[in-house]
Amino acid sequence: MRVEIKKDAGRVGTCPHRLKKVVSMQKNNRTDHLKIMIFMSVIIITLSPLLAPGSEKPDALLSVPPHALIVATGSINPEGFDPTQGWGRYGNPLFQSTLLRRDEHMAIVPDLAETYTLSSDGLCWHIRIRKDALFTDGTKVTARDVAFTCNQAAKSAGKTDMSLLDTAVATSDHDLSIYLKHAASTFIFKLTTLGIVPEHAYGEDYARNPMGSGPYRLVKWDEGQQLIVEANPLYYGNKPMITRIVFMEMNEQTAFAAAKAGRVHLVRVPQALAIQKIKGMKRHIAKSVDNRGLCFPVLPSGQKNTSTGLMVGNSVTADLSIRKAINYVVDRQALVAGILEGFGSPCQAPATGLPWDEEGARIQDGDLNTARKILKQDGWQDEDQDGVLSKNGLKAMFTIYYPADDSIRQALAIAVSDRIREIGIQADVIGKSWDDIYKLMHANVVLFGFGSLDPLEIYRLYRSSSTTDDVYNAGCYQNPVVDQYLDQALYATSEKEAISFWKKAQWDGQTGFTAKGDAAWCWLVNLDHTYFADERLVMGELPIEPHENGMNITATILSWKWIDDQTTSR
Amino acid sequence: MIRQLLVKKVTHLASIVLSISVISFMLVSVSPIDPVRAYIGADMLAISRAQKEKIEERWGINEPMHVRYVKWFTELLHGNLGHSFIFNQKVTKVISTRFATSLWLMAAAWVISGMLGFVMGIVSGVMHGTFVDKLIRFYAYMLASTPTFWMGMLLLICFSMWLGWTPICCATPPGILLENVTFGQRIYHLILPAATLSIIGIANITLHTRQKLIDVLQSDFILFAISQGETIWGATRHHGIRNIILPAITIQFASFSELFGGSLLAETVFAYPGLGQATVLAGLKSDVPLLLGIVLFSVFFVFTGNTIADLIYTLVDPRIKAGAPK
Repeated sequence: MRVEIKKDAGRVGTCPHRLKKVVSMQKNNRTDHLKIMIFMSVIIITLSPLLAPGSEKPDALLSVPPHALIVATGSINPEGFDPTQGWGRYGNPLFQSTLLRRDEHMAIVPDLAETYTLSSDGLCWHIRIRKDALFTDGTKVTARDVAFTCNQAAKSAGKTDMSLLDTAVATSDHDLSIYLKHAASTFIFKLTTLGIVPEHAYGEDYARNPMGSGPYRLVKWDEGQQLIVEANPLYYGNKPMITRIVFMEMNEQTAFAAAKAGRVHLVRVPQALAIQKIKGMKRHIAKSVDNRGLCFPVLPSGQKNTSTGLMVGNSVTADLSIRKAINYVVDRQALVAGILEGFGSPCQAPATGLPWDEEGARIQDGDLNTARKILKQDGWQDEDQDGVLSKNGLKAMFTIYYPADDSIRQALAIAVSDRIREIGIQADVIGKSWDDIYKLMHANVVLFGFGSLDPLEIYRLYRSSSTTDDVYNAGCYQNPVVDQYLDQALYATSEKEAISFWKKAQWDGQTGFTAKGDAAWCWLVNLDHTYFADERLVMGELPIEPHENGMNITATILSWKWIDDQTTSR
Repeated sequence: MIRQLLVKKVTHLASIVLSISVISFMLVSVSPIDPVRAYIGADMLAISRAQKEKIEERWGINEPMHVRYVKWFTELLHGNLGHSFIFNQKVTKVISTRFATSLWLMAAAWVISGMLGFVMGIVSGVMHGTFVDKLIRFYAYMLASTPTFWMGMLLLICFSMWLGWTPICCATPPGILLENVTFGQRIYHLILPAATLSIIGIANITLHTRQKLIDVLQSDFILFAISQGETIWGATRHHGIRNIILPAITIQFASFSELFGGSLLAETVFAYPGLGQATVLAGLKSDVPLLLGIVLFSVFFVFTGNTIADLIYTLVDPRIKAGAPK
């Protein structure tokens, strides 16, 4: 059918409508053109409201009251705002208040709690809560609400992990006891992060209708788009000076574009974009423990995990001198300058910058000679002159895996690979999906990133265990002395005591998991989290932040203000 | 007649649902993504083994796939699509809220691409062989082979970043309560995603309309009309459109599947929080209940479109109705 038509169309002379057209083009040339013009203009007119800039001005920003702060710093928890399910697990749940909190110097101070004591066996917390706290519906916050929250969190299967809790019991309106299954110095972290929910208003839809005693209350959450909050007039603490905040849900690129277009006041940007300038905005840098480092398998290769069937161990990285040499030769300052555009800091342990970081464990990095010496003393030699060292027939070669969608990790892995090549170690760099990496991580070097304000992370990174089925101690590191320190730190009954053991686990003068000791990892850098904020916004110094998390910037929001506020209020 | 059609359609739908759900379940079961790991993400070290097991238990993902399928299917027969992992909400609720946003986008794109495509098809058909026709055909073939996301990114760079005419993302202006969002603002935020979707949707209907019109214009009755002094445009208006509108409408209804797939990509590019975005998230995080819910929903959506296309023949063209006069 189609072919026939084409044939016809080709024979112009015999095609009737073509013939007619030629005639009509001569006769009715004007009318035809006129008709086309009319036809076209009708289309244009019908569609013009869609094609022209809308009657609403693009800068909708200006249409909201200036006291509404528009923020685009990352995604909003898609599950909603239930602290027992994981909302606010890094602290500052915004809608709810926590029993304790960390101040800007990382010291623990009471918040909803008035006083708190821990029994000498470390198993029972006695907490008295303040009497002036109200939920947003006007009801008093009682010890029963707190106990309910703890028990509910232990029950629910979300990202809030309260599995340590035995039970929480309210002993009066304002007193409660929290019993633990075993002593754990890290439990205090839960008390600084778990937002208290009202027992009477808690139900299946709580996550989408949160009610609490925190500094803000929910106005509206349009899922996937924006979260609007306003100051809670019943909040017991200092009233926030930023009375209304809009959290926009955008990815980094969109957020950056929106900031450039002047449509948001505060935006989180990737380090690579932070060197740029945005008109009317100022750059803010938050230090973080958002770390990146190489996890070394420390067992010799050829083993298999019996339960998962995954390969375990790598003979090259099982060699202490290899791990040490890499730690010494890597130039962390150069990585910060070259890859992070200066927005980061060198890091040699997972908690650099936190109170439990052992500064005595530091080594001088970027040190080619020491690295070469370590390898030479241990018998690594370039026997066949191919630039790659070997020892007893074993070539100093391994693979570094990184998550393929992460350009910073890719750059770090390649830079490390280039650097260690200079001391005769060959590392191939391969990007994979996380699901593949999880299968490879016990037998290969992986570029991980962690970073928590809870020292429990150190325990999980280095404590040896009979099972190797997870990212916990993925390299299967084992040192009985370190294990003992880690246990002592975990089971300590005060944070102070715990900190001393956390530090000893890093380096006690003899051994430790850091580069001076077993060099179980090669930590590289801590990323800075980079933001652009409206020039009129005063944010003060930003506290140290954990691993990626969009809402973290709000930790100090109670002290933020608009410059205009200052001038008008005085 | 109607009952026969109804029975046929329902059995057809049931068999599609059954086969699609089985295939989807099989595909999901070979997916390498571990939903619990995807859910915990960067919190891996903060979650104890006990807690991880608790999550696995809540989601029931430790059971073999066929057990899970039977469970899921029995629930489905009771009208329950299950609970989404990532949104911690009923799947039906997630789909309904998200689809409400997508509907604006799809409807706008559908109408625009239908109208524009039809008009361009006519112009191209009437003027076929001319420069205008070649231009339109070139445009149509170009777009038919353009990926939606790429077109979206081009438009975004051009109109939102360079020219600043259109918003950069989202379905509504920031900071405004959904109920206070005006129709104009809605439309304003729709322009780019809808344009992206429709620009690409146009190609199909343009080419079909053009071809049909050429067929019609070469028929005897048009020749007769023209020989009596009717102009080619007049003949098109009085005789041509009547004959080509039906296939055009059919094609437009049958394009629901492309509309659905295209909106998925367009929403991702424009951070437009509709069903497409939820689909991507469900896939990346291996949220099986939500993913299957959306798959089933899309089956209904496309099936509805095709059914309407079938029915419209009998509605618009009375001649097709058996036994009807004329």
